[in-house]
Amino acid sequence: MARYVDVRVSGFQEFNQAVEQHKGKTIFAYFTGSKDAEGKSWCPDCELAEPVVLDGLKHIGEGCVFIYCQVGERPYWKDPNNDFRKQLKVTAVPTLLKYGKPQKLVESECLQASLVEMIFSEE
Amino acid sequence: MIFSKSYCPHSARVKELFSSLGVAFNILELDKIGCVHAHQSGLLQTLLEEKSHASAYDYDLIVIGGGSGGLSCAKEAAIWGKKVMVLDFVVPSPHGTFWVKHNWETMIEAIQKHIGSLNWHYKSSLREKAVTYVNSYGEFVADHKIKATNKKGQEAYFTAANFVIATGERPRYLGLPGDKEYCITSDDLFSLRHSPGKTLVVGASYVALECAGFLIQQLESGSPGKLKVVAKSTEGRETIEDIYNTVLLAIGRESCTRKLGLEKIGVKINESDIAASIMLCSIRFPQESELKATVGATCDYVNVPTTVFTPLEYGCCGYAEEKAAEVYSKKNLEVYHTLFWPLEWTVADRDNNTCYAKIICNRLDNDRVIGFHIFGPNAGEITQGFAAAMKCGLTKQLLDNTIGIHPTCGEVFTSLEITKSSGLDISQKGC
Repeated sequence: MARYVDVRVSGFQEFNQAVEQHKGKTIFAYFTGSKDAEGKSWCPDCELAEPVVLDGLKHIGEGCVFIYCQVGERPYWKDPNNDFRKQLKVTAVPTLLKYGKPQKLVESECLQASLVEMIFSEE
Repeated sequence: MIFSKSYCPHSARVKELFSSLGVAFNILELDKIGCVHAHQSGLLQTLLEEKSHASAYDYDLIVIGGGSGGLSCAKEAAIWGKKVMVLDFVVPSPHGTFWVKHNWETMIEAIQKHIGSLNWHYKSSLREKAVTYVNSYGEFVADHKIKATNKKGQEAYFTAANFVIATGERPRYLGLPGDKEYCITSDDLFSLRHSPGKTLVVGASYVALECAGFLIQQLESGSPGKLKVVAKSTEGRETIEDIYNTVLLAIGRESCTRKLGLEKIGVKINESDIAASIMLCSIRFPQESELKATVGATCDYVNVPTTVFTPLEYGCCGYAEEKAAEVYSKKNLEVYHTLFWPLEWTVADRDNNTCYAKIICNRLDNDRVIGFHIFGPNAGEITQGFAAAMKCGLTKQLLDNTIGIHPTCGEVFTSLEITKSSGLDISQKGC
């Protein structure tokens, strides 16, 4: 049995479904610009942060949930009324956060392995 | 590191004790360099540099306590390239409260969230500067060695060349049987599961007044148990007997140095140890450039502006009238004062004569303003500005020559006419 649950979603609706499904557990969410057919994101910072964040998963606590969420295409993201911005207060990609808690890493913070380790391992 | 004052008998005893035990120590005589922040004077940096070749230890510096003092010290040391660790742990109050989510006010939830995000911000900004931040309780077990115990009771050991104790203070209890079981403190107030209901606040200084002010705005009948309190006056025969839902103790704070294992490294504890002759949150975040500049600069302990954040605020800077009379002699002082009515209080039944402004001037020194007092809305904001003016040597004449901004509360200070000594009526008749 895996130490933690790894969920991959695209878009706001799928994200909420995943959160609902795992209600009651500690949920970490990583938001990235969506990837193209070649697996590359329109967001250059996300490309840089992803390996750091995925590597940081080794610090995640037992029984936690990690939701990897592709937010959508660039025009959707840039729209100030997009659901992530309005309802989740996620205003930048990449963002790594602990759902329902104040712990959050935004943009260049996601590139720092020590900060990623800290957010995953904190009690 | 001993923070001391050259004239203080307690400090002298501590120094003697260290000498007699043969324990090496450094002294910072606060009255000589004037400034409370060792790292501002550059002394901390010097100390750390002296021992930087001692790579026998895990860290160059371990800071015990992650409050405003500990965090700024840790950050500074990290900027100088030192390997730093901060040990921060909130020991639960006897009521066992951590930051528990509850329902008695949505506002409390917002407060907790805010505190949570502040804490997270401090932690991540420390980590960014490569300071190791650990949520554990630190205590000494041997020379240069501490044991860190986390929430789960797991222990880890660390060594460092230097240590800074920045554990601050916690609220004091009465020292009576049952005080911890039946009373709460300000620590508990913002994590109560229930509305505190009818509350007795014991104490009359900042924390007591501010908590009372906060509670009065949350009037709700409470669900906690009933407590019968009997109080007897120390000055007469008066007794008060009443039933309360909550008893809140705000009778002062004491430093948290008792359970650090200091006795294991030969340090005896004195009363009021942590270097805080002013037990307030007066913030100074030192800039790098200030580090060298403040060597030898005097820290003015008299003109420290402060504010009590009661619903209607009280702000002051400099001397209280009684103290000023003690220092300068009453005949050498002129006190100007007035009641005033903030223009924004347009509700007709609001008393014209609630807010009060007062300055104390030294007649022997060009009517220098040596005391500033204001009771009214936004007193904190107003006091901050006038504190800077006092630092520049504000006099009554300069005040009179200052053009007032209309309509503000602060402008009353630019047109003070009535002296206390004249005995004239200062009440306001309306706009």
